[in-house]
Amino acid sequence: MEIRVRQEKGMASLEVEGELDFSNVELLQREIQRLPEEVVEVDLQGLQFIDSSGVGMLLSQARIFYKQGRTLRIVRIPSHIQEDLEVIGFFRVLEVLETKPNA
Amino acid sequence: MREVVEENGKILRGYGLEGSGCSLPAGQEGGDFFEFISCNEGSVFIVIGDVMGKGFQAARQMEAIRQLVRECIRINPHPLEVVRRLNKLGGYELRKCGSFATLCLLCYDGITGRLTCVNAGHHPPLLLSNGQVRVVQCWGVAIGLLEDYLGSGAEEFFLADGDAVVLYTDGLVEACGPGEQRYGQERLKRVVRLQNGADAECMKENILADLDTFTRGISQKDDVTLVVMKVTRKAGDMGGD
Repeated sequence: MEIRVRQEKGMASLEVEGELDFSNVELLQREIQRLPEEVVEVDLQGLQFIDSSGVGMLLSQARIFYKQGRTLRIVRIPSHIQEDLEVIGFFRVLEVLETKPNA
Repeated sequence: MREVVEENGKILRGYGLEGSGCSLPAGQEGGDFFEFISCNEGSVFIVIGDVMGKGFQAARQMEAIRQLVRECIRINPHPLEVVRRLNKLGGYELRKCGSFATLCLLCYDGITGRLTCVNAGHHPPLLLSNGQVRVVQCWGVAIGLLEDYLGSGAEEFFLADGDAVVLYTDGLVEACGPGEQRYGQERLKRVVRLQNGADAECMKENILADLDTFTRGISQKDDVTLVVMKVTRKAGDMGGD
């Protein structure tokens, strides 16, 4: 997995390429956690594979961000990954978190 | 109900049903599980699930969820209540670890032939009836992701003699063949359609054989769990053995 970080005023973007799974999920988690920006985007356009550990980590981080009054956006999700995330209920969880910051 | 437990699989006979399932872990310990659980004289639960992650922690959490499913069925066997209660009791622990579990729960009433389905973030079952395959349109958020279970509720169908239901975990449809191609739901549906008339055990073996053909021995990243249940007698003929 490769991560490219771009930081602009008040916003950061993490471009993730390759495979995000059990073996490297902590690496991306640390990168997300070390960013101080109010809005952090995780750009998954270059992602080929994500396992449930990766999905769980992204949702945990989104929960932490919403509790802090910040925003974690997951953007440009490849279609085959989008389908897997829909099955789990990933986007419904993000909707609920946005409406209930303490969920 | 007569349940035969093999090395990594189980066979069910009773309630006018035959069921066959197996779980093939990708590593030494998997996070997938499936169960046949007697509810009362007339009905049986068929459960398939997948706990996030791999290794010891996933296996431990999977065992806890498996026990909890039995406990929730014992307290109140209404399928939607089972999943709601499971999400309340088990979801908090999962969430604390940043984890979650997907689960599909079926309850079959052998007296009336009614099948009730509740889904929590799992691939929905395939229903084979008269040579036609359809995907059950039942969705829900995985266990542990939200405080309260959110989903389409309990879906009900009436199964006839010869109808079959196929449950599977994502390791099956996401299995990779040469060139990073995925096995996919469309291929699974095609193979299931060809199984019209076969018994549950044979259906399971044929699907696994097709998966083997597709993957050509490439080692897989995720556990594969597959359960097939088939109605063997007309509804109303019998309850549990």
